[in-house]
Amino acid sequence: MDPTADGLEVVLERVVAAYGRLAELGEEIDDEWTYIQDLTAAWITRIDEVGAARGDQPLAPETVTALDGAIAQIDLITDPHRAIDWLSTFPQVTLIALGEAP
Amino acid sequence: MRFQDAARDGRAVVYAGIQADPLVARAADLLANTDGRMRVLARAVMNGESTDRETWVAMFPTLLGADVRDDIRTEAQAVLDVALEVAQRGDAVRSQVRGAIIEELTARLLARRVPADTIRRERRILFDGVRSEIHPYDVTVERDGSAEAYDCKWGARGISDDVLYQLDDARTHAADEGASLDVALVVFDARRSCAVRLARSTAPADGIRIVPLESLDEMAGAG
Repeated sequence: MDPTADGLEVVLERVVAAYGRLAELGEEIDDEWTYIQDLTAAWITRIDEVGAARGDQPLAPETVTALDGAIAQIDLITDPHRAIDWLSTFPQVTLIALGEAP
Repeated sequence: MRFQDAARDGRAVVYAGIQADPLVARAADLLANTDGRMRVLARAVMNGESTDRETWVAMFPTLLGADVRDDIRTEAQAVLDVALEVAQRGDAVRSQVRGAIIEELTARLLARRVPADTIRRERRILFDGVRSEIHPYDVTVERDGSAEAYDCKWGARGISDDVLYQLDDARTHAADEGASLDVALVVFDARRSCAVRLARSTAPADGIRIVPLESLDEMAGAG
């Protein structure tokens, strides 16, 4: 394990911040505003559960790379409809990279 | 209750061409023989962002990493390759191809439980004295005494009140005729997202089976 690599806590902070940006983009679709609030709350709850259970444990460099790569992907999205698709997909990708079940 | 082929209008003809694309069969075959994590990989890639293979390899170290067991990595590479082929299609076509893949996947899983010749595609269900719905069901199982109707959606956002009402109406009309019709919505998305979508719906959903990504294999189980 690389002692200089970011730990789970700081990486999950980046994940949740990126997820928030994605939600803001999805909110451009007015009809889906409530769904987006509910969906993001449900998935952040799941991510928080993982963070609480594992604490600020060190992560393998490839896990940090995976999560930063996923963040980079969603930061490229400009279409709000596609953002809504990714509001469900991104947390699943995050959890699988962490070896957790969605 | 009786089943009928959907009208062969322009949309149906175009969509039949999509369904017949060999890519659809290859993707459905792989997805029918894999697990939930691989299906999430496929969903992420087919959502349509990067088409760079190495980007996805880096994002899924637990499936595609160098230290992953050979058989798992080989399977994940095959899923990634076929999903990238889908992702490389243009936006409009990709959406149709994805839909066709989920329908074909549904049919393949059902074929493990029921005779293949009872599984039909794009069928309407007609009831005596009831104005027929125009929208056909994506997949049906047509057996005396235990029929099934499936609509398939790419994501939880596809769970709409219209879809739920149509499925519930079909189930209710069948029961009125003393027939059994099991209705289900197959959603290639996480159970958690489906539950969120359903929670705010005002449509009847109690008699409708939701089959999320994690439960797809249940369609192949004893029924």
